[in-house]
Amino acid sequence: MLRPASGGTRNDIAVLARLNAMEQITGRVRKLGDNIDTDVIYPGKYLPIIDAPEMALHALEGYDPEFPKKIQKGDIIVAGANFGCGSSREQAATCLKYAGIACIVAKSFSRIFFRNAINQGLALVQSREAPDKIEQGQTVTINFASGEITTSKSEKFAFPPLPEFLMGILKDGGLIPHVKRSLKG
Amino acid sequence: MKIPRKEELIRLQVEYKTDKRIGEALGGIPEYLVAYWRRKKNIGRYSLPKYSKERIKDLWETYGNDEKAGAELGISKSGFYKWRKIYNLMEKPRMLKHQQLEFTLAGQPGASKSGRTLVEQGAGRQTMAQKLLARKAGKLEAQLGEIVNVEPDLAMSHDNAGLVIKQFRQIGQEKVWNPHGIVIPLDHRAPAESEKTATAHKSIREFVKEQKIKNFYDIREGICHQVVIEKAHIMPGELAVGTDSHTTSYGCLGALSTGIGATEMAAVWATGKIWLKVPESLRIVIHGRMPKGVYAKDVILYIIGQLTVEGASYKSVEYYGEAVGKMSISERFTLCNLSMEMGAKFAVVPFDKITKRYLSSTAGRQHEPLFSDRDAVFEREFEFDVSRLEPQVACPHNVDNVKPVSEMKGTRIDQVVLGSCTNGRLDDLEVAARALKGKKVHPDVRMLVLPATRTVYGQAMRKGFLKTFLEAGAVILNPGCGPCLGAHEGIMAAGERCLATTNRNFKGRMGSTESEVYLASPAVAAATAIKGEIADPTR
Repeated sequence: MLRPASGGTRNDIAVLARLNAMEQITGRVRKLGDNIDTDVIYPGKYLPIIDAPEMALHALEGYDPEFPKKIQKGDIIVAGANFGCGSSREQAATCLKYAGIACIVAKSFSRIFFRNAINQGLALVQSREAPDKIEQGQTVTINFASGEITTSKSEKFAFPPLPEFLMGILKDGGLIPHVKRSLKG
Repeated sequence: MKIPRKEELIRLQVEYKTDKRIGEALGGIPEYLVAYWRRKKNIGRYSLPKYSKERIKDLWETYGNDEKAGAELGISKSGFYKWRKIYNLMEKPRMLKHQQLEFTLAGQPGASKSGRTLVEQGAGRQTMAQKLLARKAGKLEAQLGEIVNVEPDLAMSHDNAGLVIKQFRQIGQEKVWNPHGIVIPLDHRAPAESEKTATAHKSIREFVKEQKIKNFYDIREGICHQVVIEKAHIMPGELAVGTDSHTTSYGCLGALSTGIGATEMAAVWATGKIWLKVPESLRIVIHGRMPKGVYAKDVILYIIGQLTVEGASYKSVEYYGEAVGKMSISERFTLCNLSMEMGAKFAVVPFDKITKRYLSSTAGRQHEPLFSDRDAVFEREFEFDVSRLEPQVACPHNVDNVKPVSEMKGTRIDQVVLGSCTNGRLDDLEVAARALKGKKVHPDVRMLVLPATRTVYGQAMRKGFLKTFLEAGAVILNPGCGPCLGAHEGIMAAGERCLATTNRNFKGRMGSTESEVYLASPAVAAATAIKGEIADPTR
C-alpha cells in the first residue's frame, strides 16, 4: 500500500487511493496476435459515435464480431507486437477501457495508441516475453508497484515501470484532469 | 525644351525612378510626356530589379557556382548567370565565404555533383528531431529519450475536431491558446454521410466562429494534409501535431510533424503545449534512379516490406540519397505519408533546392530550415537501391505484406480507388489519366477517382484529366478521404477485392471484414482498372 506522506492533502489521498486500486489487478486473459490495428479494434464506420459506453459495444468487432459480448469486466488483453497500429483514432483506447478491459499486455505498442491509452487512463504493460508464455483463458495478476506479472502457473515476468511524467498523468486520472490541475496551479 | 537623349533619360530614370519625378526634375514636364518619350526611345517602365546587386554578389561569393547560388533563390543555373552578368560579376571569387562550413552528406554518392550540400553553423551531434524539439522546448539541447514539453507551430484536426471540442469543454478553458495555430479542414465524412456526422460538423462550424479560428476549411476544400501544404500552414523547420496518423506527411517540406489523439489535442488547444519524447532517428538512403513506371509509392511500399510495420516504431526517419533528391514535393509527400505505416513518429526529407524552388513558387512564409548535424547519431542506417525496382503491391491485411506486381498479376479486382492523401495529387491523376486515355475501365470494375483537394480537382479539370476519367467510365467523387477509411462512398461487400492508391489495407478497412484491399501506385491502379485484374503498368 502507498500511504501519503505526513501533511498530505485530501487530494493526495484521493490520488493514492486511485493508484492503490490500480496497484494490483487480476483478470482473465484474452489472447490476441501481432499487429492488432485500430481498424480491427474500432472499425471506421463507428467513428461518428461520441458516447463512450456506446463505443464499447463495438470493441474489437473487426477481430471477432462476438468479441464485445465475450468481454467480462476486468479482462486482460495479452497481445503480440505493435498493438494499436494504424489510425490515430482515440476511440480504439476508449472503447476497450469502457468495454471493461483492465489492462493490455503486449510485446510492443504503436506510438499513438500508447499515448491515447495513457491519456484515457487505460493501463498498459510492455513485456517482450510474457505474451508468448501466457495462455488464453489463464488468470494473471499484474502488480504495478513491483512491476511483475504472475500467471496462475506461478510464472513471473518483470516489466519496466512507466516514466515518472506519465505516471503523473495516470495519478491525476488521465490527461483532462491533469491539464485542469496544471491550469489551476 | 530639348528632348533628352536616350542615355540621358536612362540616367534620369536611375536617379528619379518614376516618370512624374523625372518630369519634375526637368522643370515641370507632365508625366504623360515623359512616358511618351520613353516609349519612343524604347525604354521600359522603371522597376526595381528582382534581386539586388548585394544579394547576387553575396550568393556568388558564397558559392562561386551558378547552380548552387541559383538554388538559393529558386532559379535555374542559367537564370543566376544572367543576373550575374547584369551586375558584371564575371570573375570567380578567390575564396568562398562559407567554404569552411560546407560539406556533403556523408555516404551519398554524387551528392556534390547534384549540389545537395548542407550549410550548417555549429555542429553538436544532434539530429533534426533533437534540435527542433530542443528549440521548441526553449532548450539548447535535447537528449534522446528525454520527455520535453513543446509548443507546436501547427495543431491540425479534421472531422474529429468534434471529439476534441467535447474534451476541450471538459477542461473548462474558455478560449483556445492561439486561434491562428489551429487548422481544421473537414474531409473524412464530407459531405456528412449520417446525422451523427452532420451534428458533429455543425458543432465544429459553431466552435470555429466562437473561437475566431480563421483556418477552418469546410467540406468543399479537400483532404486535410494536402490542404495544410497547399495553404502554406507549415514551413520547413516547423513542428506540427495533428489528430490524424498521417500527419507525418509534412516532412515533405522539411518539417517535423506527427499524429496525436483527440484528448491530447484538447490539451494543446487549452495550453498550447504537448509532451513529446525525443526519438531516436533512422537514416534511410535511397540510391539510384527510379525506372520508368516506378514511383515513390513503389519505393516506400518496398521499404515498408523490408523494414516491417514496426520497423520505424517511435523513430524519426530521415530520407537521403540520389533518388530522394530528385523526387518532387508530391512524391516526398507520399514517402513521408506512408512512413507512418512502419510506425514512424516523424518522417522527413531534409530541405534542399527542390523544397526551396517549391516554396518560391507558392505563398510561403518566412522559415528557418533545419538539418541534422553531420556527425549526428542515428540509431540505424539503411541503404536501398531502386534502379531495378518493379512496381509493388501491399497485399491484405498488412502494409508490410508487399510483393512485386509480377507475382500478383491476374488477381481479379472489383473496385479501384484512385485518390487519398497518399496519392490524390495532380501528378498521380496525370499518371492514371495518361494510361486511361482512349481506353475503358473494365466492365466488371468500379473505378472511383477522388482528387485530393479542390485545387487539384480544378487543375485536373483544366488539364482534361477528369474528362478522360469520365469517358473511360470512372466515377469522379468530391475531394476528401471517401472510401479510404470505409466511411462512405464505395464500401466493400464480403468477398470483394479493391486495389487502392490509399495507405491502409487492414481487415475491414473499406467495409466488410471479408473484403480485401491491395495497395499500389496510380500507374498500377490504372492498368488494373483497364484489365479487371492486377496488372503491371511497365509491361
